[in-house]
Amino acid sequence: MAKTINLTYGADSAVFTYKPIDRSIIYGKRKRIALDAEGNECAKASLLADGSLLIRSGMTAQGYFTPDNKWVPQSDLEALNLDGTTPELHPSTIGENVSAEKISASEALSMRFTTTYSLDVEQLPDGLKKELDSGAIFKFPFNPRADYRMETGILISNENGYFAVIGQLVQYELSSLTSVVSVSEEVADDSSDDLDFEMF
Amino acid sequence: MKLHISNSTNRDATIVATSLPDNDKTIPSKDGKPVVFKRYVAAGEGKLHEKLADDFGEKLTDKLISEDIEIDFEIVGREIEETTTVLLTKDNQPLYCAPEILEVIYGPDGKEIERRVPVEVAPNVNEELPIKWTGKLIPRNDLIRKFAIKRTLQLRHVDGVTFDFLFAIAEELDEKDSVMLLASGEGGKAPLVLQSNGSPYRGFLEGRVEGESFLLLLHLSAMELKKPISKSEKGDD
Repeated sequence: MAKTINLTYGADSAVFTYKPIDRSIIYGKRKRIALDAEGNECAKASLLADGSLLIRSGMTAQGYFTPDNKWVPQSDLEALNLDGTTPELHPSTIGENVSAEKISASEALSMRFTTTYSLDVEQLPDGLKKELDSGAIFKFPFNPRADYRMETGILISNENGYFAVIGQLVQYELSSLTSVVSVSEEVADDSSDDLDFEMF
Repeated sequence: MKLHISNSTNRDATIVATSLPDNDKTIPSKDGKPVVFKRYVAAGEGKLHEKLADDFGEKLTDKLISEDIEIDFEIVGREIEETTTVLLTKDNQPLYCAPEILEVIYGPDGKEIERRVPVEVAPNVNEELPIKWTGKLIPRNDLIRKFAIKRTLQLRHVDGVTFDFLFAIAEELDEKDSVMLLASGEGGKAPLVLQSNGSPYRGFLEGRVEGESFLLLLHLSAMELKKPISKSEKGDD
């Protein structure tokens, strides 16, 4: 059974199936490869810092361990807030009715976005459809699996269809004359090798 | 990160762009105590299935059951910390000379289109030529509905002069309820590249003003919001 995003807005209920999209699906991608002297593609391996072992693909595993080195299965993991308190466990919202709320473009732009979904309509009442097609933006709580951090989804429509962009709401601190920032280099965290972007 | 940016009248200044740290993260734990993530060696040299199958053939199953031949007890379980990347030849031997680097281009369907010598892309957001306004104003509503925003930077002032500079930009844009498309490079049309060989982005500058304070955000997008081309549209059998 397909996973769905189920939204209620007033008396209207909408249901969408969803799938993730990114640059590589829309435009393609590029990848750099290394070739040896004979023109064959090289594989990557890792050499331990002391040079004692060359680790090839398939030789490693990873996981979480307690302070006394006992392995903890992923399904048994819990969570702590940074201040040591226990956070609330949020259930998954997939297939569950959640309330959608109309918001402004400024509020929608105050987010740290992580995922973009293309939506296919299973059920969309005329009232909600008219709102979306006229440019209204809605937010809704989104949690693909039960965890300790509820995300926010933004539901929008354009000439290409319906989409949901997922992320976390951000509280920006406005700049005042006294809030001067020191000049320091910040390392950009994106180093992907995507195609040159052509939009216009 | 420093940015060299101009305003609508081509006055320019070098300011600072910051990312908002993610403070809502949780720490994985068990029974109230934090756990740590570790990588470790799970198989030794020559102990992967392909090699064992080559060595033992039909006897592999019996050997695995009776002798634990897949486990190298000297190194399995060893924690992996710092490593260096090494390239291996087709024969699984370390490469001792510099490799030839090629760039492979894949289409949206994942199929290879072209192989070429990679083009080095230089950053262009803090160069002699400032990031410029293209003159293309886009309503805020259109930005969120038409483009997938990958990352947002907050532009901050470094002194009183740059405060006035950025405040005026934020006020101008807030009044129009719109964002300005920015571009860089010689012709003032190139997408923004934040680091060497980084992804090119379209930059959209948004401003908000509250009293004597301002918020200036640079939204970076590398993708329009549109549907992937389906196989039937591509004409694939």
